[in-house]
Amino acid sequence: MFFIPGFVIAALTFPGVIIHEAGHLFFCRLFKLQVFDVCFFRFGNPAGYVVHQEIQDFRAQFFVSMGPFFANTLLCAIFCTTAFLPVWELKVFDPLAYFFYWLGLSIGMHAFPSTVDLSHLWAQAPGLARKGNVLAIVSLPIAALLVVLNYGRVIWADLGYGLAVGVFAPIAIFRALALIGI
Amino acid sequence: MSQAICSRCGQDFPIKSLFDLNGVTYCEACVQTASKEAREQGHPASYIPLINKSICARCNAYIGTSPDNAQIGTLRFCAACAPLVKDWDYPQWLKLSLAALLLLLVASLAHGRKYFQAGREMYIGEHLVKQGRYASALLHLQETLRIAPASDKAALLAAKAALLSGDVASASKALQDHNGGRFENADKPEFREVDSLWNRATGALTKANQAEKLEEQDGKEVEAARLMHEAASAYPEMSALAFAAESYEEGVAFLKHDYDAFLAIAEKQWKQQNLPGTAAAVASALACKYAVTADIAYRQRSEEMLEKARQLAQGNVDALKGLDEFEERIHYRLQSRTIIGKQEYDRKFRSVKAGK
Repeated sequence: MFFIPGFVIAALTFPGVIIHEAGHLFFCRLFKLQVFDVCFFRFGNPAGYVVHQEIQDFRAQFFVSMGPFFANTLLCAIFCTTAFLPVWELKVFDPLAYFFYWLGLSIGMHAFPSTVDLSHLWAQAPGLARKGNVLAIVSLPIAALLVVLNYGRVIWADLGYGLAVGVFAPIAIFRALALIGI
Repeated sequence: MSQAICSRCGQDFPIKSLFDLNGVTYCEACVQTASKEAREQGHPASYIPLINKSICARCNAYIGTSPDNAQIGTLRFCAACAPLVKDWDYPQWLKLSLAALLLLLVASLAHGRKYFQAGREMYIGEHLVKQGRYASALLHLQETLRIAPASDKAALLAAKAALLSGDVASASKALQDHNGGRFENADKPEFREVDSLWNRATGALTKANQAEKLEEQDGKEVEAARLMHEAASAYPEMSALAFAAESYEEGVAFLKHDYDAFLAIAEKQWKQQNLPGTAAAVASALACKYAVTADIAYRQRSEEMLEKARQLAQGNVDALKGLDEFEERIHYRLQSRTIIGKQEYDRKFRSVKAGK
């Protein structure tokens, strides 16, 4: 395992940071939450943040915490899918395809919610899950996995996640399309 | 005013020790109970020091009791921060960036279209290879290689499909067009599989070439047939080798003067493939039968087959050239009722060696 300073990683993958924070802001606005401060990108830790009011409603908490995870993952899958074939399978040297793949990968790398986001979710989810809240039940395993993966960032779990989405999503999509004859 | 009353217990406390919960003032002891009750009733349960209400919750500026301040939820903000907190707008550059991202998304989809086509063909080809439908797979994989000849996967799949459908030429093209036959990793099982198939196929073709040369020599028919059978066994995917091996049995039968066997094989091959060569072979076998039986029916049929061979050879320069040479010998056999091989015929009647 090799060490690369966080600001270098953030600089190389800045689109993902901006999209992640934009996702937080979008869901804050959607649920009409008070936003105190927003930083879309900076050379520091964290590379971006959205400071918002304390959230009482679990649905709002879920989407504010997890929304960027789903949005970044989706965008990563789309961009990587468009560039996957020339980059990985067909081995065509196409700079534009490599640009799109970098964009997808950098977005996917910043999909993980922060430990602060997850801790808020984790604090509310078990109690609500016991009461039968479907969203809380669904969020528990996802949040648990993401907590583990978040700690795995020191061993490049975020890059691993981006690559996994950027490789397995296109393979699954293309194979499914080929099987159904499209 | 440095004192205020707790709304629950009614006692006086210094302001700096009091809290605000949903706009109501509590002392430190009562606010915890009130917060718990609020939570149970589904109301906001967070409370702040009362003194914080005199500073902006966002920028910490002193706001005192100024009428310009705004209360949003449980917090107070200065006139500058209040609208921002209430409705934090997306910055202009972010809106433009997100619009650019959407455009990039569309551009990436448009750009990837030709690769989608190539990829689709490759996955269909791969699927067909797994099903053992090699000839169909090859067509799809060749389409992929047209766009991406450097793809290891597509080249190896195409070579595999071609080799397993007996098409060595297409396999050779797929491999040679891929960086002159060089691959990234020669230890990959896919490469090893194709390498093994390639060696088997080329080994068989080498034997077939040797058999072809021997077959042109009188008296070597048995060895030629043996070699061609070995080639056909080594590479059964190429049906032409098995067909050639069978046709070489005609030469063996001719050598053994077993003209019934010669005719049986020739007629079988003619039924399988209506070609100038198979028609000529039947004519040759019938001419042999005429030579040994003097049955005019054999002669008539032999001449008919020669005519069919000529019709089938129309437009094919090589076939016509071969037939010209062949017809001459068959006519000699029919006229003289003498059965001799090509080399003996050449020695007797041709000053220069003609091709077979």
